[in-house]
Amino acid sequence: MIFDIIIDHLPYLFGGLWVAIQLLVALLAVGFVLGIALALAEVYGPRPLRWFGMAFERVFRGIPEIVLLLLFFYGLGDFYPIEPFPAAVLALGLRSTAYQSQIFRGVIQAVPRGQMQAARAIGMSRAQAVQNIVLPQALRQAIGPWTNEFSSELKATSLAYVIGVVELTRQGRYIISSTQGNILVVFAVIALMYFVVNWLGNRALYGLERRYAIPGYGETR
Amino acid sequence: MAKLLEVEDIRKSFGSTEVLKGVSLSLDRGETKVIMGSSGTGKSTLLRCVNRLDPADSGHVRLDGEEVTDANVNRMRQRIAFVFQDFNLFLHLSARDNITIGLRKLRKMSKADARQRADRELDRVGLSDRADNYPSQLSGGQQQRVSIARALAMDPDVLLFDEPTSALDPELTGEVVSVMQSLARDGMTMLVVSHEVGFARRAADAVIFMDGGHVLEEAPPKEFFSAPKHDRARQFLTAIGEGEAA
Ligand SMILES: Nc1ncnc2c1ncn2[C@@H]1O[C@H](COP(=O)(O)OP(=O)(O)O)[C@@H](O)[C@H]1O
Ligand SMILES: [Mg+2]
Repeated sequence: MIFDIIIDHLPYLFGGLWVAIQLLVALLAVGFVLGIALALAEVYGPRPLRWFGMAFERVFRGIPEIVLLLLFFYGLGDFYPIEPFPAAVLALGLRSTAYQSQIFRGVIQAVPRGQMQAARAIGMSRAQAVQNIVLPQALRQAIGPWTNEFSSELKATSLAYVIGVVELTRQGRYIISSTQGNILVVFAVIALMYFVVNWLGNRALYGLERRYAIPGYGETR
Repeated sequence: MAKLLEVEDIRKSFGSTEVLKGVSLSLDRGETKVIMGSSGTGKSTLLRCVNRLDPADSGHVRLDGEEVTDANVNRMRQRIAFVFQDFNLFLHLSARDNITIGLRKLRKMSKADARQRADRELDRVGLSDRADNYPSQLSGGQQQRVSIARALAMDPDVLLFDEPTSALDPELTGEVVSVMQSLARDGMTMLVVSHEVGFARRAADAVIFMDGGHVLEEAPPKEFFSAPKHDRARQFLTAIGEGEAA
């Protein structure tokens, strides 16, 4: 019975899911750190840094994920031996950097100019003003759009199987080919797993957004 | 004795238009001077040059004999506080934390000390009961009083005000003006751009009238309001409803 097969293989499916989640967390972390750095460089940096940021965004948003994965695994692998997992983190993480920097740039620029001015006027340096005043406001506004990025990157992790990362989708194919199992049911279970992770992640992010909402802000009095 | 604040021959252009054409003024410790003049005359630009939010093209600003430069500007700004027309309270911070953040990040004060100081300043502007409110939960007049408290907490030598009441509904200007009057009485040194004639009469040592990027005249308020020397000043006073009835 197909359900026995599923139950027998649940440990593999959960193993695959765990790999997918690790990949997701790693690539989002890369994208978060580099994305903020890139956004700051684009908003506050000297002109060459701005150009670099724009070029980076264009390039990494313009190439399909699969091509990036292949490029980083096989292309980079020609010069420097690299495992599938780190190659996937790099490829998807740099792509996420491009999307996240766009999110962060938008919310940084949306902080009213007067906020920076007031911070400078009490004697903060530009860096102190960015750290203490601009970023705390911008990051609150970023949670909403960042939730979309979370969802789309979760889905993108399923592509890492093309370079041999044994994540959830890859496990599904193993199960099907080793048991001649029912493709529909196996993938339905996998779909459900993605759905649940996505749902939980979104809930957590909404919770974060509510928790850090500025009292009274955006309400009409 | 040297003046507390000396502004000497400030010039400033935006593109090809010269907005400040050599402005000088000075304040002794404890003095309050009110700058008046029509819109677009360069009053805001002058204040922004004083604490270098806009650096002047030429001229000097000295506080207690020390020139304000790019190198010392962050330190000097703690001594030359600025109150904005539209308050610019930090939106993500409560009234109290708008005040503590400068004390904590710049003065490295402990959390408890900063909190105590903040509450004292809020009390001084009559907002003890609003410490936990966020800017968008406060009226314009309350926000401006918090922003004055934020400025005072840094123990500035001079307070600059750029039209502190002109973004407020008329019924809210009184609470801000009365806070400013009590500061003047307490001996704060203040340079105030404002068209509040009542405030100028009661609190100012002098009115400075600016026109077209120049200081046209400086006189004690009584003298300025009753007998301005320049036609431009007379026209201005008529325009704001203060000239002798035509
Ligand atoms: N950042 C700026 N860039 C270009 N022009 C400016 C800038 N700030 C002020 N100006 C111009 O300088 C002149 C004086 O402005 P301002 O100092 O705001 O006058 P006031 O405060 O007396 O109304 C105005 O013509 C204004 O348009
Ligand atoms: Mg102005």
